[in-house]
Amino acid sequence: MPAALRGAGPLLAPGTILLGLLVLLGSLRRGAFTLDELNTDAAAAMTLILVAAGETIVILRGGIDLSVGGVLSLATAIAATRGPLGGWQMAAWTVAILLIGLGVGVANGVLISVLELQPFLVTLATWSIVGGTALMVLPSEGGAVPGWWVAAGAGTLAGLSLAVWLLAALLLWWAWFRRTRLATAIRAAGSNERSAFLCGVGLGRMNVAAYGLAGLFAALGGLFLTSQTGSGSPTVGNDFVLPAVAAVVIGGTVLSGGRGGLLGSVLGAFILTIIGNVVFVLHISSYWQPVVAGLILVLSVLATSLSERVMARRAAA
Amino acid sequence: MTSGRLRGWQSTILAYAGALLMFALTSLYSPGFAAPSHLRSLIVVSAFTGIVALGQTLVVISGGIDLSVPWVLNSAAILVTLIARGADAPLLWAVPLVVAGGALVGAVNGAGIAWAGIPPIVMTLSTNTILQGLLLVATGGSPPPTTPAALQMMATGRVGPVPVILLIWLALAAAATLLLGRTVLGRYLYALGSARMVAEFSGVPVRRVSMSAYVVSGATAAFAGVLLTGYSGQAYLGMGDPYLFTSIAAVAIGGASILGGTGTYLGTMAGALALTILTGLLAIFRLSNGALLVIYGVVILLTVSTATPAMQSALAWAGRRGNGWRRHR
Repeated sequence: MPAALRGAGPLLAPGTILLGLLVLLGSLRRGAFTLDELNTDAAAAMTLILVAAGETIVILRGGIDLSVGGVLSLATAIAATRGPLGGWQMAAWTVAILLIGLGVGVANGVLISVLELQPFLVTLATWSIVGGTALMVLPSEGGAVPGWWVAAGAGTLAGLSLAVWLLAALLLWWAWFRRTRLATAIRAAGSNERSAFLCGVGLGRMNVAAYGLAGLFAALGGLFLTSQTGSGSPTVGNDFVLPAVAAVVIGGTVLSGGRGGLLGSVLGAFILTIIGNVVFVLHISSYWQPVVAGLILVLSVLATSLSERVMARRAAA
Repeated sequence: MTSGRLRGWQSTILAYAGALLMFALTSLYSPGFAAPSHLRSLIVVSAFTGIVALGQTLVVISGGIDLSVPWVLNSAAILVTLIARGADAPLLWAVPLVVAGGALVGAVNGAGIAWAGIPPIVMTLSTNTILQGLLLVATGGSPPPTTPAALQMMATGRVGPVPVILLIWLALAAAATLLLGRTVLGRYLYALGSARMVAEFSGVPVRRVSMSAYVVSGATAAFAGVLLTGYSGQAYLGMGDPYLFTSIAAVAIGGASILGGTGTYLGTMAGALALTILTGLLAIFRLSNGALLVIYGVVILLTVSTATPAMQSALAWAGRRGNGWRRHR
């Protein structure tokens, strides 16, 4: 394997699937590869990408975060009840919403480390708690975010939409973050807790950092979503929890922790989003979308698991 | 004090005590809560959660998780009404057929997890999504016919003062408790859940054991779907969605560790009852749906934290301080 491709191995499967879907889409419909299309697709995928970005970090740590659904809902609910607010007030609320997301994540991390609780149950409980709070803030779908907020979400800069710029920023952030001590420690703690601990990695601090980032990203996803829909929904986050895990897993990050990265999750999120476009262009019932998504999820994991088995056998021989 | 078996019993007792306490407090506040008719409806509603959670208990004990219950339940409910078309006679073969279908989905889950090595979360999530899509495609999103009378009888009927569904639930509970406590498969499930590799080296057929847990889970989810159709008089899309959360929550409240190896079905039953009583609070205290979700979450956090090492040592410390309720052990 050429040196440049080494380390890109896990991206091979999701990359191929995405390429295949894009080729299929391009052959079925003209204008599939225009700038407009990029802007639209990025906007459609961006909420999932942001949630999946946080989920990636938690899964790299060897955990799982279900509470991102509640945080996303709460973020849209709070934002949508601040409709009449002007510039600086909304800016303050934006910071507040991000801090709430961060706070929920930190609480998850603390509960998991201090009480030695299982991540699945803790975040299931906080999903319920934060999702319930969202329903109390905004009992039903609706509300409105400020007009300029939506304008920013729909606007373009140098021909590229907010989503594309956000995506670029996210990838840049990841290019920096993945090489930091924190990211290395998170990955180490995820791949082997005991050796990481013996090497001086604070496991509790890693939990707080990983779940905190997941909460922060989920809140950011909620804010982005309101800029697209202009309103809030107290339950919308529930539709993102399992797809976010699916995007991470399709992207080649291993559920047991330690291996993977954000790039794969971005590909996974695009795959899950573009399946919808393909189903639409094929003029078949949109009800087929979950079927195709489910099959791709199983098959991509199956491929990873089988190829690992073959590798292990080859290494043993 | 640290043996898993003892801890399991303690948390089962704790779960029942919690459910009883909640029930007593609510009854004090609102006497109608303990009226026979309301008691019956509480038990009927708990039974659905309890039956879905039966399979979930086995899966969790074996160290897995089944996220496919919502749409297995929903598919079974819709299929049984489509086959029966409002008549009682076809039920004789339709119900076993649909339950077998649920078991088949469970077998697919189990095969993917045990043989192909796919993580349980991913595998069962995928089958859930695929079933959801297939069901939408098959029904075109339109509602199926109404449920046959016999099914409605099973779900809402009574033998004297006792709801029929309670009898069904108790029979299933007895079977599950015997299976877990008195059979080889039961021992194997605990062994697999507490230490997979040790179990494998000790000659436990880990793959078949793991798969059988998912088969039971598919079957109980499908059976609960059939009963639930009788209760609501109709099958509808999305009827299974609440059961993903409640089935896992019931198992967790009942004292099983989500990492596997511990738990009893008796505990899960207490969990199902506690969750239903909590829902009952909604009407009495005029709580919003959001407040109920918050309470659900807090209850799960509280119950699972009592089973943690940190909390156990705190309890043990309290016990040494002269609180004699557990000294006789």
